[in-house]
Amino acid sequence: MTGEERSNSGRTAVGSGASEPADSHDRFPTAVRQLSDRSSTAVPPLPDPLAPCVHCGFCLPACPTYLATGDESDSPRGRIVLMRALALGELPPTDDALAEHLDACLGCRGCEPVCPSGVQYGRGLEIARARLAEVRGLTPLARIVLGVFRRAWLWRPAFTAARWLRGTGLFGVVAGEGRMGFAAGMVAATTRHCEARSDEAIGSPRHPIASSAAPWPPRNAGRPTVLLFRGCVMDTLFTHVHDATRRTLEINGYDVVEADGQVCCGALHDHAGDVAAAKALAERNVRALADRADYVVVDSAGCGALLKDYGHLLGTEAAAAFGAKVRDVSELLAAAGPVPPGPLDLDVVYDAPCHLQHAQGVHAEPLRVLSAIPGLRLRMLPGSDKCCGSAGIYSLLKPDMARAVLDMKIAEIAAALPRPAYVTTGNPGCLMQIGAGLRAAGVPIHVVHPVELLDWAYLNSE
Amino acid sequence: MQSLLPHLERITGPRWVRHRRAELATYAMDGLPTRESPPAAVVMPGTREEVIAIVRELHRAGVPWVARGAGTGLSGGAVADPAAVMITLTRLNRILSIDPARRRAVVEPGAVNARLSEAALPFGLAYAPDPSSQAACTLGGNVAENAGGPHCLKYGVTANHITELEVVLPDGSTARLGSRGGEAWGPDLVGLFVGSEGMFGIAVEITTRLVPLPRAVRTSLADFGSIRAASEAVSAIIASGIVPAALEMMDQVCVRAVEASIYAAGYPTDAAAVLLVELDGSEEAVVGDGAVVDNLLAQHGARSITSASSPAERARLWQGRKKAFGAMGRLAPDLAVQDAVVPRSALPAVLDAVGAIGRRHELVVSNVFHAGDGNLHPNISFDRRDAQLAARVHQASGEIMEACVAAGGSITGEHGVGSDKRDYMPLIFDAATLDAMCAVRRVFDPLERANPGKVLPIHACREWRAGGVA
Ligand SMILES: Cc1cc2nc3c(=O)[nH]c(=O)nc-3n(C[C@H](O)[C@H](O)[C@H](O)COP(=O)(O)OP(=O)(O)OC[C@H]3O[C@@H](n4cnc5c(N)ncnc54)[C@H](O)[C@@H]3O)c2cc1C
Ligand code: SF4
Ligand code: SF4
Repeated sequence: MTGEERSNSGRTAVGSGASEPADSHDRFPTAVRQLSDRSSTAVPPLPDPLAPCVHCGFCLPACPTYLATGDESDSPRGRIVLMRALALGELPPTDDALAEHLDACLGCRGCEPVCPSGVQYGRGLEIARARLAEVRGLTPLARIVLGVFRRAWLWRPAFTAARWLRGTGLFGVVAGEGRMGFAAGMVAATTRHCEARSDEAIGSPRHPIASSAAPWPPRNAGRPTVLLFRGCVMDTLFTHVHDATRRTLEINGYDVVEADGQVCCGALHDHAGDVAAAKALAERNVRALADRADYVVVDSAGCGALLKDYGHLLGTEAAAAFGAKVRDVSELLAAAGPVPPGPLDLDVVYDAPCHLQHAQGVHAEPLRVLSAIPGLRLRMLPGSDKCCGSAGIYSLLKPDMARAVLDMKIAEIAAALPRPAYVTTGNPGCLMQIGAGLRAAGVPIHVVHPVELLDWAYLNSE
Repeated sequence: MQSLLPHLERITGPRWVRHRRAELATYAMDGLPTRESPPAAVVMPGTREEVIAIVRELHRAGVPWVARGAGTGLSGGAVADPAAVMITLTRLNRILSIDPARRRAVVEPGAVNARLSEAALPFGLAYAPDPSSQAACTLGGNVAENAGGPHCLKYGVTANHITELEVVLPDGSTARLGSRGGEAWGPDLVGLFVGSEGMFGIAVEITTRLVPLPRAVRTSLADFGSIRAASEAVSAIIASGIVPAALEMMDQVCVRAVEASIYAAGYPTDAAAVLLVELDGSEEAVVGDGAVVDNLLAQHGARSITSASSPAERARLWQGRKKAFGAMGRLAPDLAVQDAVVPRSALPAVLDAVGAIGRRHELVVSNVFHAGDGNLHPNISFDRRDAQLAARVHQASGEIMEACVAAGGSITGEHGVGSDKRDYMPLIFDAATLDAMCAVRRVFDPLERANPGKVLPIHACREWRAGGVA
């Protein structure tokens, strides 16, 4: 039995470059497998990714919503019970309590790497959420938010306006407690907080690939080409991170190219169960980005996780081939060394984004990149394996739970001694959530993307 | 019941009273998948005072209840029938104080076992009992089950590490048992409460001992070509007078499941059995004992012996062992974890018998256990949706228990009796003894409302009530 056969999700699981614990099913020793097959001859194995759950409870302490509430209905094990009941028809998709507790899941997949049985929680959740969305529809708020992200002509002006207002410093002033104060804090958190050189300084203007008909750009001898995935939030509120990504990759021997026609990655839609919208966006991205460079580089962990998984989402060879080329920026930088930068005399704590560590299985690379900076005193944030509560649009839909989860994260940061100057994490949602949380709690620590620090360090290298 | 909910909600706030069908389904089992029953409601107190108010309210209403920690128990103990209310203690999870000088910690019952050792670490101390479920299980649950763990061979089980308890009795009154220092005076009431499986009341404050971290530790893995050879090596080590900090055995089925999981520890998958031997103490003692132990292992046919050379390697060897139960989900969706104790000298014969029972019923049986204590965990992998298979599992479990008892053993080593082992109690206790147990229980809980229907065979208590006829 291979991993593919096991995840009977209607989609084909195709290797995507992400190393998932689930793949270890492939390593299952034959003798044991035969035994287990024989033991259940009368009933075929449960055809779902949750089947291996033995209810042991090891996943409980890994789950931020369980830690925040102590309630097993908000735990992975409890949600698996609910998802199984849904699949077996013991509870209908119209059951409000069931929907409420599945909705309260962050989708962070913190429960997967700790599970000794290799339960594929994320796959199970995908199936359950798609079923709920199909029968119940999305909540009005989710529908509006997801609708915006589906249309660039809506999100681009909205985020651009937010960026413009950010420039006025207004958000920083009104940021704080309360829903509006928190939202302002999220935008304020997108401000660039560390030094960076201007684009001109490095002398590497973008080389756009004007249209999909454009010829392959002439390669610099031996330099791999990487195509920057621009995304939506990243391409408006975090352009400074994109700039840092481009500059650091160039220094590390990559040729960064651009491509038109790309759209939002669809992760927000996929997580909410709006699979049709996710697929439509994915198809456009594959069309716009496939076969244009050696790698597709992503500096947003949430987007990267889904881009790598397009093969699973779309079930096509082309999408799988595309997914196999996707890399987080830290992966490319670590593979290249990175080229030694100048020193930064700073205390920094690293908090791993869930969609990097749990969904993509990328752990060491961001640390390798940051440790390359001389003088930087890097620490792992205790509880870095736990979600910050951002989780895509979750923090909008479930503000109370999101805050309860965030509060645990902020408490860890506030307790870190010596007090760090920066918290660094490679995902826009986490940067905004943690940034806003720190502001609300009055903790004077800034948030930055790891490539921003590396970029800054290169500035000191001459 | 409906009339009771508003009263409970008034105590905790509505957020902390769960009563919808889907929510109750998530509390229908503990770590044992064969006992399933949703409670009438789940209430989650946030303070000790709320616990007291809830128990008083339930007492007034005449409603039975079941305490629950993390629900990792393996005997169906934290499962309530549909007429009972579940009181979940996970919100009471603070570590109230650590006194490094007197080596004591005071915790709330929902504090997780591993968190306590983490909190004690900066003082060079640890909480010794380390059930394999320690990352998830609560100290309240540990107290109720008198939990053990690999290192209890040398350091003793939960009962040896609890000095004082504050408990809420089933009528809502409170009592302090024992004393902080742990000086003995009068009857050992703490000892009585520890292991009472939720039938005597709810522990709301727990004072534990902390032990200094050992100066030196040596963890070795030895692999054997037969289970019998491994068991004989265990007997030889114990007979030598050396008390290892831990002495654990895993058989081939178990090793292979672990090696297929993310906790793969590098155990040889062609071994019939592996032993994990840990020695701790002073540097000299560890080196000296280590040489003796290696010798004994080799004499008894160890094919290879590897010692962990770094703390990381040591942790990896242990991870595999500690996650072994969970890894068993790779064999089949359900796992019946058994728990029995046999005299160590009987280990080889009993393991042979367990293997034979498994073969006779055509079941996948694996063994992972505290060999040094003779505490067996034969596990049967199955799929509970196959009723015929489940019946065979039940039958085989009974036969395994009988084999252990016949060898001079007992029906549980550390997972408790709960609902799962209740019917085996007459295998080891005669009617008069069971009567006496009922009488003790009724001292704490005259109306039998705390965790009803567990541990003591129902007819035993009824007979007691009817006038003690045995
Ligand atoms: C994978 C795995 C490995 C395990 N390994 C071990 C092991 O090595 N050694 C071992 O001993 N056990 C082991 N166990 C069993 C289990 O973890 C222990 O019995 C543990 O003590 C249960 O704690 P809990 O918090 O989950 O309690 P629960 O399962 O929630 O409850 C257990 C019992 O305690 C009662 N209870 C809970 N809290 C209180 C309280 N505050 N006051 C009074 N009664 C209370 C409940 O009513 C119930 O009867 C293992 C379990 C699993 C799943
Ligand atoms: S850790 Fe895995 S097997 Fe255990 S309860 Fe959680 S999902 Fe199930
Ligand atoms: S995905 Fe995250 S929030 Fe959801 S059950 Fe798993 S650990 Fe908990």
